Amino acid sequence: MINKDVQAILPRVQKPGRYIGGELNSEVKDKTNVDLRYAFCFPDSYEIGMSHLGMKILYAAANDRDDVWCERVFAPWHDMEAEMRSAGVPLYALESGDPIKDFDLIGFTLMYELCYTNVLNMLDLAGLPVRAKDRHALTPIVVAGGPCTCNPEPMVDFIDVISLGEGEEMYDAFFDLLKDCKQRGASKDEFLHAAAKLPGFYVPSLYDVTYRDDGTIDAVTPKDGAPAVIPKMVVSDLDHVRYPDKFVVPYIEVVHDRVVHEIMRGCIRGCRFCQAGFLYRPIREKTADTVNDQCRALCDATGYDEISLSSLSTSDYTHLEELLDKLLTWTIPEKINIALPSLRVDNFSDELMEKLKKVRRSGLTFAPEAGTQRLRDAINKNVTEEEVLRTARMAFAGGWTAVKLYFMIGHPTETLDDVAGIADLAQAVVNEFYRNPDKPKGKGVTVSLSVASFVPKPFTPFQWEPQDTRDMLLQKQAHLLESIHTKKISVSYHKVDISFLEGVFARGDRKLSDVIEWAWRHGCKFDGWDDSFHFDVWMDAFDACGTDPAFYANRRRDFTEVLPWDHLDFGIRKAFLQHENEKAHHSETTPHCRLKCAGCGANRLNGGHCDAMRQSMV
Amino acid sequence: MRCVRVWFNKTGAIRYISHLDLMRTMTRAIRRSGIPLWYTEGFNPHPYMTFALPLSLGMESVCESMDIRIEGDVTNDDLFISLRDAMPDGITVTAVKDPVTDPKYIALAAFDVTFHDVPDPAALADTIETLLSGEHLIVQKIGKKGHKKVVKDVDLLEHLKAYRVRREGDVLHLDLVLPAGSVTNVNPALLCDEIMKHSAGYYVILRTKLLTADGKTFE
Repeated sequence: MINKDVQAILPRVQKPGRYIGGELNSEVKDKTNVDLRYAFCFPDSYEIGMSHLGMKILYAAANDRDDVWCERVFAPWHDMEAEMRSAGVPLYALESGDPIKDFDLIGFTLMYELCYTNVLNMLDLAGLPVRAKDRHALTPIVVAGGPCTCNPEPMVDFIDVISLGEGEEMYDAFFDLLKDCKQRGASKDEFLHAAAKLPGFYVPSLYDVTYRDDGTIDAVTPKDGAPAVIPKMVVSDLDHVRYPDKFVVPYIEVVHDRVVHEIMRGCIRGCRFCQAGFLYRPIREKTADTVNDQCRALCDATGYDEISLSSLSTSDYTHLEELLDKLLTWTIPEKINIALPSLRVDNFSDELMEKLKKVRRSGLTFAPEAGTQRLRDAINKNVTEEEVLRTARMAFAGGWTAVKLYFMIGHPTETLDDVAGIADLAQAVVNEFYRNPDKPKGKGVTVSLSVASFVPKPFTPFQWEPQDTRDMLLQKQAHLLESIHTKKISVSYHKVDISFLEGVFARGDRKLSDVIEWAWRHGCKFDGWDDSFHFDVWMDAFDACGTDPAFYANRRRDFTEVLPWDHLDFGIRKAFLQHENEKAHHSETTPHCRLKCAGCGANRLNGGHCDAMRQSMV
Repeated sequence: MRCVRVWFNKTGAIRYISHLDLMRTMTRAIRRSGIPLWYTEGFNPHPYMTFALPLSLGMESVCESMDIRIEGDVTNDDLFISLRDAMPDGITVTAVKDPVTDPKYIALAAFDVTFHDVPDPAALADTIETLLSGEHLIVQKIGKKGHKKVVKDVDLLEHLKAYRVRREGDVLHLDLVLPAGSVTNVNPALLCDEIMKHSAGYYVILRTKLLTADGKTFE
């Protein structure tokens, strides 16, 4: 639903289909019949936001309530923003076309550190002050969720309430409270104090942070009865929690334009670099029947011809083969493809390969993450070179000619020999192709290496580790290129400057809010996009605020240091993380959760339940 | 297997989706409709779907058509109901018929352009008359030569087959007939952009009819 002002500017912008709303399955309600208007904001482009599963889940959950109308808002691209600002069009929600500054609730998903400036920009484009303390009225309340809220501290000066953990079941109490406060004419302060008592909600303005002379945190002190530690919320039963029975079907092509189904939450592997692997614990699986039924409903409601089975490690899903059997009975006649991202090389069976051949033949992607066994042990990526090569062999025998391998450089304890090991492993995969007697005639092999730079993150065993400096990362990138001697191997990198900034904000504290605001006021937004990223402006921002980014990115923390996120409880015990860190430095591995429970502590938040534990005892 | 021509309107905000987006949207709508679509029999089966004449991004239309291939003995009336109910907002299926004209004979298109938020419609009407009754109206058109973009001059009046300016209340209309199809194609936006150099406001183009070279309606 777009108004005339927007119609007048749309012919002048690229991809106007991003800004029109009205897509199939979008929720249109009568605004006079709802009590709460909720603008669900995704601080990135439409194409990225519309690919985000969390948004689809929460959009459906919020709109289940008759008294709430949840609408979608994305960050307008540079050209649209300029047109909106010059025509005086404030940020509007796609379903109604109404300005979001009049809404009761504005929610942001913080899925990536480099979207932070977009949050400020969207608040400003809406016509709201960016700092929480400058928004005095009860509504709109600005709330944030998503993975970055495991350390929201750099952003807390801009947000009123942070929701920790899985949102599906947290909404109700929060909506009820806001509705009640609105009807009673309560103050924002009153609302915030009450919200701080709801499980899983963190009201940062109710905590005082004091610092030591060296810049580290002295203490985080709760005020006015706010809890000292705030636990994240978890959904206990994935089979019975609300999953959308329809997705909004975008008109324009988005990144993930298909049915996405989350088959399990959490990961049994415990790779020490992987934040998601710890953040989403404990392990919870859906049954094959639930997944099958929900996929069917979603295909019917959307008309999509592709299903992606999503999880952190799809081949660890215990019912995978049963599920594929069920799905294939109807997806083959209906010509629907099934995509299986996140497969592992160590449990990739012949049977699975046979089933995969039926569903789709695209590229195969595996993630050895490090080039040598010693380093793979240190990061607890429990795969061997032989497993990688065996899988490559199976793939080549199955007719694949392109393999993509994911690696990271900058892991703790990494040496230049480990970096050269990446090239050696890729070469071994190439050799494996030519060893295959049945290799397709006239076809070469392509091994694509995607090499990211490691960023230490909160709630991982590496949360105390220094990130490699930009110079070190550049040196390692150069060394890797020198170690590759064939054109059959191609390498792509992440920009080290972007990784550096990600590292600063991932483990940052409240002092960084000034830096974020300064950078935004000087034009930084869409920082995750190479073309929009202005590293020099960011460096000026650190200078102007008297902040040393290396303090956050490149400094080794002592185990006794108060970390900015210590008052947030994501289930994982700090002692467990420390123990894992110490093992990493001795290149000692930890078996995955089904072989032996490592005692991370995450099941505490789920009444002691963890699907990995249950299976390990059977 | 038989071919049917699905007629539809594309109006409102959905005019801002491109032809490629429309094809994707239609593929999904057809899947949702559950009609017995015929698929090609190759290694990668896909439905047969072809549009008479792609509509430019930003234009509305009440004369769009796509040809699809159907299996079984379902009637056009049943197809009409299934497809109508599966469409997103802004796409209205108006009929399902057996194709009459081959799209390759499309030579002309008629448009109804409306001008909105114009401060002085009478003055703009005069301006349009002056522009269109002259000898030449040369505009620059960005075309492609291979992968390169090239700018070339086009004399719009050389191509303009017919026009009429009319007022309906505050809204100024301009009816146009321009060459369309695979041989010569002139986008009315070139003309409208030229007109809007003389006034504030914005315009909306509605395609109303496709015609063959001898003036017969494409059906």
